[in-house]
Amino acid sequence: MSLSEHLFQDFIAEKRYMYLVDGLKNTVIITAGALILGIILGVIAAIIRVQHQNKKNSSEKTGPVLFILNVIVNFYLTVIRGTPTIVQLMILTFAIWKSGQPIQVAIVAFGINSGAYVAEIIRSGIQSVDIGQTEAGRSLGLSERMTLQKIVLPQAFKNVAPAIFNEFISLVKETSVAGYVGIQDLTKGGDIIRSQTYDAFPPLLAVALIYLVIVIGLTQVLNILERRMARSDIR
Amino acid sequence: MISVKNLHKSFHTLKGRADILKGIDVDISDGEKVVIIGPSGSGKSTFLRCLNLLEKPTEGQIIFDGEDITSSNVNIDKVRSKMGMVFQHFNLFPNMTVRENITLAPVLLKLKSQDEANEEAMALLDRVGLKEKADAYPSSLSGGQAQRIAIVRSLAMHPSMMLFDEPTSALDPEMVGEVLSVMRELADEGMTMAVVTHEMRFARDVASRVLFLDQGRIVEENTPDELFDNPQNERTKLFLSKVL
Repeated sequence: MSLSEHLFQDFIAEKRYMYLVDGLKNTVIITAGALILGIILGVIAAIIRVQHQNKKNSSEKTGPVLFILNVIVNFYLTVIRGTPTIVQLMILTFAIWKSGQPIQVAIVAFGINSGAYVAEIIRSGIQSVDIGQTEAGRSLGLSERMTLQKIVLPQAFKNVAPAIFNEFISLVKETSVAGYVGIQDLTKGGDIIRSQTYDAFPPLLAVALIYLVIVIGLTQVLNILERRMARSDIR
Repeated sequence: MISVKNLHKSFHTLKGRADILKGIDVDISDGEKVVIIGPSGSGKSTFLRCLNLLEKPTEGQIIFDGEDITSSNVNIDKVRSKMGMVFQHFNLFPNMTVRENITLAPVLLKLKSQDEANEEAMALLDRVGLKEKADAYPSSLSGGQAQRIAIVRSLAMHPSMMLFDEPTSALDPEMVGEVLSVMRELADEGMTMAVVTHEMRFARDVASRVLFLDQGRIVEENTPDELFDNPQNERTKLFLSKVL
C-alpha cells in the first residue's frame, strides 16, 4: 500500500476522521470544564490557606470555621497531589459516582485534580503581592473581600499567569487518560483508528499534532494576555 | 476627635514577646497637627498603625469620634474610610492608572458614581499639579509624584483625619519638598493630622504639638518650639542633638 492509500484507509474510509473530530470535541469539553472547575476550586482553596496563614502570623485567634476549612483544604491538596490522576479518575468513575455521565465525571475528576495544583500556584501569587497593597486597600475603608478581589487577586494572577498556563497545558494532555474509563477522547479516537486499520503511525501522529496545536494556541493566548497585563509595567 | 488610652502593643516573634508600645495616652483634637518623632524602633509607626487598626492593639482603648474603635462590634471599614493613611512606600496599586487608584474606593464603597469620582480625581490632581498624570501608571511616576498621588487617593475619601507614616523617608532628597508642601497646604486647610517623620523642619513649622516617643512610651510632648529649643528629658536631648 502506498502512503496515500494508508492515509485514505486511516482517515477517509468509513469516515474514520470522525473518530478524531468527536474525540477532539470530548477532549475540549473535558478540558474546558475541568479548567473552570479547577480555577474555582483553586482560588477558594488558596484564599482559605492564605487567610489561615495570615491570621496565624498576626497571632490573632483563628475562628473554628477557618480552622476546619484549612484542615479540609490541606487534606484535599495532600490526597490529590499525592495520588495519580488516572487512579483518581477511575475511583470517581467506578466507585464513587457510578451513575454519572462519563464526560461529566471526567470533568469533575480532572477539575478536582487541577484545582489542587492551581491552588498552590494562586497561593504563591497572593503571597507575592506586597502586604502594603492590602494595607492601602484596607486603610481606604475597603473590606477584606473587596481588597482581595479588586486589588490583590488581579496582581496575583498577573504574577502567576505563566505558571497557571503551564497547569492548563498539563491539563490538556492529562485528559488523554480518559480512555481508561471508556471515554472517547482524542487519544482514544486515534487508538480506535489504529485498532481498525492496524496502522499505528498516521493516526497517532495526527493525534499528537492536534495536541501540539492546542498547546501552541494556549501559549499564544498567554502571550497576548501577558502583553495586555504588562501595560502597567511600561516606564 | 481621637483619644488614645493606655495603648499597648506586643508582637510575638521567634525570640518571644516583644512589647512595642507600653502604655500610650494621647488626645488629638480637631484640626490639630501632631508630629511624632523618636529613634528607630521606638514604636512611632506601630502607634500610628494602631490608630486605624492596621495593627490590633493588645490592650487599651482608641476613641474616635466618640466611638471605641477597639471594641469588636465596630465596623472598622467605616472608621478607616474616615481616616486617610499615607505610607512610606506609597502603596499605589500598580495595575491601575492614577485615576483608577484615586476613584477605586469611593466608587466601590458607593459614595460616588464613576463620573463624579473621575471629576473629583481630576480636581484633586489639579491641586497637587499632577493633572496630566491621570492616565499614567504608577511605575512611570517619580517617588514624589507617587506620594502626592497617594495623598490625593486618601483625600478622595474625604477623611476627617490623616495619618502619615514617614511619607518622605523613601524619597530622593530633591522630592521631599514637593510632598511636604502638599502636606503643609493640607495642614493650613485645617486637616487633623498625625505625622510620623524625620523632617524636623516640617515638625517645627507645621506641628501644633510634637510627641517624642522612646521605647514604646511618650517621653515628652510639647509645642515644637518648646520641645526643640528647650527639651526637658535627657533622651529627648540626646535624640535631638543627633538629628538637628
